[in-house]
Amino acid sequence: MKQILVFVLFAGMLCWMMFSPIYKHVFIVREALLQKEVDYLLETGASGSRGYIDDAMVEASRSRLEQAGMRRDQIRYRISASDGGVATSSSRPLLRGTGLLLTISYPYERLFQIDSLIGIAVPDSEERMSASGIKMSEYVP
Amino acid sequence: MSKLLLIMLMLTVWASAHALQIDEERSIRTLFESKHSVSRAVHAAAQQLNKEDLAEGRFTINEEAAYEKAMEYLRLNLLLDASGHPLPGSRLRQRVVLEDWAVINAGQPFPFTYRNSRYNYEVTLDRPGVVMIIAVSYPRLFSMMEPVVWHVKGTAELTGPMNTVYTSLSS
Repeated sequence: MKQILVFVLFAGMLCWMMFSPIYKHVFIVREALLQKEVDYLLETGASGSRGYIDDAMVEASRSRLEQAGMRRDQIRYRISASDGGVATSSSRPLLRGTGLLLTISYPYERLFQIDSLIGIAVPDSEERMSASGIKMSEYVP
Repeated sequence: MSKLLLIMLMLTVWASAHALQIDEERSIRTLFESKHSVSRAVHAAAQQLNKEDLAEGRFTINEEAAYEKAMEYLRLNLLLDASGHPLPGSRLRQRVVLEDWAVINAGQPFPFTYRNSRYNYEVTLDRPGVVMIIAVSYPRLFSMMEPVVWHVKGTAELTGPMNTVYTSLSS
């Protein structure tokens, strides 16, 4: 009995040791991808030629993240303007001096599930990792 | 018994190698994020034109507004409170310190070279601009790595008509 118990504990520990760092790595890469996407969309969206992030840009961004293995319908974009205006319309771009805010979030899914094997409290799979940023628009009509 | 000890030893080495790897990845990401935040802060600051001077056809930076906007954008991007401490949700744990802040305004001979020997930073500006240096401490998850403090530097120039001459402006 004691030996079985030791075996089970040891096997659990070994599995966690082997696979947990890999899931952590996936988590880090996903967070980095979200941040890169935020950087790119803000860089292009707040540039002098745009002043907005419209649906076409969001769709293109979804496709890029999908290529990295994320589920496209789970990615959530929150785009707003620092003055409370609309930031997603190409017909009403944000003028120079107005901030463009963007947050992209994605659920943790089951990345940390393996940590429950050794008794660490894991975030719920519905909770979301997110990346955000604000950049001042340069657009001058 | 000796095999068991060996396995435990290997597990420790394996775990610490991964801890180091994860911490290094995260620290570099923190550096990138801080750099982007500084870039956006100085970018916002360099857009703060002095309206009175603009009415007279001169492009100068409103220094107070520039400082205010730079701090606002830095705080919003790094998720800091008014005193520079991280808010919940921020990846940082320690206070972000503003180490240098300079507005190089019209009236200087351009191209102007800004030097900061303390942080080993040198930049040449062709038009009015702002320079910002902040110190960001990376919160280590594991103590495998030496503590890291990044001195993040950023510069932005006034965006505006390219061919305006800034040199011969007298204030």
